[in-house]
Amino acid sequence: MKSTQLVSSIQENIARVIKGKSKVIELTVVALLARGHLLLEDVPGVGKTTLAHSLARSLDCSFKRIQFTSDLLPSDIVGVSIFNRQKQGFEFVPGPIFANIVLADEINRTTPKTQSSLLEAMSEAQISVDNQTCPLHQPFMVIATQNPAEYHGTFPLPESQLDRFLMRVQIGYPSPEEERKVLERPQSLHPAEALQPVATAHEVLALQQQVDDVLMEESLMEYLLAIVLATRQSDLLSLGVSTRGALALCRAAKALAFVRGRAYCLPDDIKELAPAVLSHRIMVSRAQGVRHRSFEQSEQIIQDLVESVPVPV
Amino acid sequence: MPFNQALRLSSVLLAAAAFIGLALGTNLPEWLVLFTGSSLIVSLLRTLGVDRLYRVLERIRLSTTAWNILTVIAFAGFWADLLWVSADLLQAGVHFLLILMVIKLFNLDQRRDYLHLYAISLMAILGSAASTTDLWYLPVFLAYLLMGVWTLLLYQLTKESDEKSGSLSFSDESAGTFRRREQITPELFWLANSLAAGALCLTILIFFTIPRVSAGFGQKGSGEGIRTSGFSETVDLGMIGPIKRDPGIVMRVELPDRTGLQMDRFYLRGMAYDRYDGKSWTTRLSHRRALVESPAGTFTVRQGSSRSPRPLGSIIRQRILLEALDTAVLFAAPYPESISGQFLAIQSDPTGAIYLPFPSAARLEYTVHSRPTPVAAADLQFQSAVYTEAFGQHFLQLPESSERVGALAREIVGTKASAYEKAQAIETYLSRHYRYSLDIAPGLQARPLEEFLFERKTGYCEHYATAMVVLLRNVGVPARLVTGFLATEWNEYGNYYLVRQRDAHAWVEVHLPNSGWVTMDPTPAVSETVGDSRWFAASRVIDTLRLRWNRFFVQYNAADQLAVMRGLKEGTTVVRDRAWGSLSSLVAPVGDFAGKLLSRVVEGNMRLTIGFLSCIVLGLGLVLWLAQRKPWNRWRHSGLIVREPVVIGQIYRGVLKQIERHGISKPQNATPQEFLRLVQQQWAGAGESVATITELYCRGRFGKVILTQQEIDAAYHSLKQLTLLDPPVHS
Repeated sequence: MKSTQLVSSIQENIARVIKGKSKVIELTVVALLARGHLLLEDVPGVGKTTLAHSLARSLDCSFKRIQFTSDLLPSDIVGVSIFNRQKQGFEFVPGPIFANIVLADEINRTTPKTQSSLLEAMSEAQISVDNQTCPLHQPFMVIATQNPAEYHGTFPLPESQLDRFLMRVQIGYPSPEEERKVLERPQSLHPAEALQPVATAHEVLALQQQVDDVLMEESLMEYLLAIVLATRQSDLLSLGVSTRGALALCRAAKALAFVRGRAYCLPDDIKELAPAVLSHRIMVSRAQGVRHRSFEQSEQIIQDLVESVPVPV
Repeated sequence: MPFNQALRLSSVLLAAAAFIGLALGTNLPEWLVLFTGSSLIVSLLRTLGVDRLYRVLERIRLSTTAWNILTVIAFAGFWADLLWVSADLLQAGVHFLLILMVIKLFNLDQRRDYLHLYAISLMAILGSAASTTDLWYLPVFLAYLLMGVWTLLLYQLTKESDEKSGSLSFSDESAGTFRRREQITPELFWLANSLAAGALCLTILIFFTIPRVSAGFGQKGSGEGIRTSGFSETVDLGMIGPIKRDPGIVMRVELPDRTGLQMDRFYLRGMAYDRYDGKSWTTRLSHRRALVESPAGTFTVRQGSSRSPRPLGSIIRQRILLEALDTAVLFAAPYPESISGQFLAIQSDPTGAIYLPFPSAARLEYTVHSRPTPVAAADLQFQSAVYTEAFGQHFLQLPESSERVGALAREIVGTKASAYEKAQAIETYLSRHYRYSLDIAPGLQARPLEEFLFERKTGYCEHYATAMVVLLRNVGVPARLVTGFLATEWNEYGNYYLVRQRDAHAWVEVHLPNSGWVTMDPTPAVSETVGDSRWFAASRVIDTLRLRWNRFFVQYNAADQLAVMRGLKEGTTVVRDRAWGSLSSLVAPVGDFAGKLLSRVVEGNMRLTIGFLSCIVLGLGLVLWLAQRKPWNRWRHSGLIVREPVVIGQIYRGVLKQIERHGISKPQNATPQEFLRLVQQQWAGAGESVATITELYCRGRFGKVILTQQEIDAAYHSLKQLTLLDPPVHS
């Protein structure tokens, strides 16, 4: 009971800032509880950064923001060893990655070299600098944003990098009523600054632990695998979903069930999450005549594939 | 355990039970037993999912054609076997059956393969039933019955689920299809077992009512009988020796009037011999005459020659179960007065031996009343006796050239006057001065008696008895050699003597003027190494059970059936008593054994007592602990988890069917919740009921949550509501 209240209070807290986007907020919390990272892909100005910010403010934990630019270097993210005159030796100065929630803003604006520096951090929650391995803070979550509308001077994320995000989410424009509410808000203060934390880092870790205990029945496991198999066998796709993708869908479904107050998964959980969790992991085959990875198109393909798989009764 | 695996397992076990029946009942060649046995073990392991084995077997998987070719080869082998190797239809058929069984075991792919395997096992168990009536058949048959019920049940269940899922392939599950994993629940487990018990009860009912034959008509070694020695018209000296090591059971002798009282030596008389030619004994009194039957079934034996009034001993009643032997002699304690049993005719010869007209091919049961001859008081003093010439010719006959023996006889007897004293002197002399041993080189010696008396001074019963008869005749006392069995193995649980081949014995009968023929035995009592340990006690209990099994089940025949019928007509008490008697006679020896074990332990030393008591305390503690912890509850709990989804799943399918009638069918790709929304859109009236059931279904099916009875009732109620609703309005 207490954990569901905690989860809903986090959602309510974020909803005070991000108006009318309960679905996106739910997915954000799912990503947090599934120990995953979130890729927000949308046009500028719809609240990507604000979402990340308000999530960090709602949790009593550290938050760093990195603005990715083309001249950003890996050491600007993970940290660097500097010579200390007093101690006559090198000293490691941790970079902004040493935080619970890291916002990687406009991640596709930086070079692949710098993008790759996030790889180890995101999959193993640790970094290696100068033959030294440092564990990162727990819980650790990367929220990255990218702008799909503009491709000039961007470096699209490689598949390996994309695969490390639990899901890719689009925020979308708010409805006119919600937008009006945003406008009516006092402008003096950033709305996220007013938020009070509702959960500690420890509580988040405990919630993550509980998500692991959510039951996924055997037939649902097979349903999930059938979906993954369908992406691999589809003619529309040149690259199907990896095993990491299947694992991600499983974890995300468990987290969604938990967020919705259930101790077991339903087929709906898997079906609902499949586009968000799988769409960025696939490659649409060239025969489809698409030059760019289109968000909508790949989500639509996943959606259709999911509909082709029978649900266990 | 999923149904498919359970079906495989029970099928293999069914085949195994049938095979064990055949292996025990018929004479199978060793290689076939090994081959079939190891194939069964391999299939069993494979069924239980030993991975490595499975992989190996997958690699050597043959095509259906290859199996068919193998079957044809086996069939050709059957004809070769029939014509040249065993040249017997039953044997060759059994061999072919087992080969087929092995082929099917490794080729269990499709449903018909299972059916073939069942047909083969049925034939095998029928074959073993035809070949035996032994006790071990009971557990084998029970196992077969249990497995049979399980197999048929599972076969039906898997068939249903197969048809439901619509897939024809039986063994492989592709990743894309969803088959509900059907599990064996405790309810099913107990249902199957109680079905088996019910089938057994039905079998017993049929057993007691339908006419039947009492012996297996293809019984192993029938018509031959156990080979015995020493019961033909001629006995070579040294013939009994080789069988003195054979533990085969020859007969069991029950003494109904002597419950619990153990006698050390119990003689069972076979034949008597009068003439000794220096090497072998022959009987010249073998002309037999038929005995008078009065009343029906009872034959009276009249003692032939003695006319003088003799003192009479008390009557010994014996009930004898004689195995099929190769001799027509019937054994009894000396001297039989009457014999009753299911005989057509009984013969006897002048020495008092009783015979069947010809050796029996089956086991016999008969009752004998015997009266031993005690030594009359008058015979303790010297009595002059004059024997007729004919009598003297028979019982005072001596082999040629035995002066040395005669001298020894006179030396032993010395000044003893009466015949009884002389006999006693010789008996004592032989048993004191000669060593008992079975380690005598077989084969005929030129003068076995002289060798025994003067050179080797070592021998066994035949030597002793022959020596005593010859010595007695040398001093003018009529005597004869008797062969038979000396029972020493008393079974206290069944109150009977167990007589084995190795109990074959030869002894002496001495004729005293007043008493008649008196039994004497010069052979020293040999302490056999039949230990009185608990292990032997257990084997005695098993033998008792075997005897009861034979009496109450195998020998149960038309006459008994009539008796039961009559009893049923007259009233139930007789039937009840009889049934109870049959049952308790099977149970009593075990209980008796436990009681004796207990008393022995308590009588024994302190340490044993303490150990025994602590065992009891530990056992009680374990029972209490189990009762408190109730580990089976966890099992039942998990069983319930499995059961609930089945019930709620059925209800949900009922809902789907109900709604489909109104033209709203659930798309394959729709989740229960999506379907619920669909129903709410198209048939608003049904929304509430469907919502209730969908919620419970999701909880039970995907959450594996144990639903309460109220929840299931609520689901049923909603389902019923659904049927009463108005049909949806189609726009």
